[in-house]
Amino acid sequence: MLAVTELRVVGPPEPDDLPGAETAVYPDWEAVYADNVVGIYQLVFRRVGNAADAEDLAAEVLMQTLKTLRLPAPVHNVRAYLVKTARTVLADHWRRHYAAKDAATELQQVPPDALTAPRNTAASERAERLLSLLPDNFRRILELRFLRGYSVREAANELGVTESNARVLQFRALRKAADLELEVLR
Amino acid sequence: MTDSPADRVARFVDDLLHGRRPRRFNASQEEVEAMSAAAGMVSARVGADLPDKAALDRIHRRLAAALDESPALDRHVSRRVLLRTFGTAAAAMVIGVGLDEVVTRQGKSPGPGGGAPTQAVLMPDSGAWKPVASVTQLPAGHAMTVSTGAIDAVIVNDGGSISAVSGICTHLGCKLQPDDAGRKLDCPCHQTAFGWSGKVLYYRLKVEPANLPQIPSRVNGDQIELFVV
Repeated sequence: MLAVTELRVVGPPEPDDLPGAETAVYPDWEAVYADNVVGIYQLVFRRVGNAADAEDLAAEVLMQTLKTLRLPAPVHNVRAYLVKTARTVLADHWRRHYAAKDAATELQQVPPDALTAPRNTAASERAERLLSLLPDNFRRILELRFLRGYSVREAANELGVTESNARVLQFRALRKAADLELEVLR
Repeated sequence: MTDSPADRVARFVDDLLHGRRPRRFNASQEEVEAMSAAAGMVSARVGADLPDKAALDRIHRRLAAALDESPALDRHVSRRVLLRTFGTAAAAMVIGVGLDEVVTRQGKSPGPGGGAPTQAVLMPDSGAWKPVASVTQLPAGHAMTVSTGAIDAVIVNDGGSISAVSGICTHLGCKLQPDDAGRKLDCPCHQTAFGWSGKVLYYRLKVEPANLPQIPSRVNGDQIELFVV
């Protein structure tokens, strides 16, 4: 009975008050790898759009991070560092391979919570929202190309324009999408 | 005739849509913006941004080769010791994947393990092979909890390779919850997570909890069976 009385007075302990409750940590590099490799891969894939580059860049992000970090280290610290490294690695990728200048850094905006936010649907929801904001002709060319897998020729036939015009339309639509991404969806 | 920006970006998009590494070129700022947007559009296709197991294995090998201080070595050593200890077909089956990694990654015979947490194999004295699920219930890339009465387990299909670990957190016994997207098993009680192999991924405790015991598993016909009581 005494124990019950004491419990009522004290109340349930808060999680942080529990003995043994400390900041979650990664014990070793294998743990960092296992918990983050898929998230990092998805993060970089969304910014380069192909598996070969995504694999190389994901490995580079993990490598740079793990060579610098001292482990064990808190999970949130490691993830924040991974995201920061990803931003640098991506900007460098665009700079080296496509001569992109400072704006590449701007384009490679990676939100700080990129590794903890839900990631399965984020890319498709973002794309759908982007498409919904585009003018009709821009939206149609991007839907035909990216969602339905049409070639430029097939898309041109569907839209009743020349192939050359379809390429220009696609280019303008993508630039508009990039503007929207930076201005509206950030 | 020289390519226009629209032509170059169209070629970049073609490469992405065909799953190729895009050709490199000096792009204008406008082209880079368009190409970046194209990458985002490609990744919106269902499953496009998910790495396959071979890619993950290659990344892992690159990291293991570069990071000299490899806890993986200790852990795989522990599993090799376990293999010698049990010496049974069932244990070999459970441990086989890790052992292959030792052979291919280290290329040498490792010495005895040095203090890293070991991973036990749950081998009941009077166990028997019992079906717990059909193969079709567990597609690749998924984990599911099963119970045989005495034992709660999680069975995993990692790219066609079936394995099983205890479904009970080694800290205080909470039932683990599979997180397929993160390829891990979460403890709902104290922010601890285990990988599909049963190894601790992270924990919110003063002392690192033990790895999850592995449970001998096999595929028999269209049934996944565990060696349990």
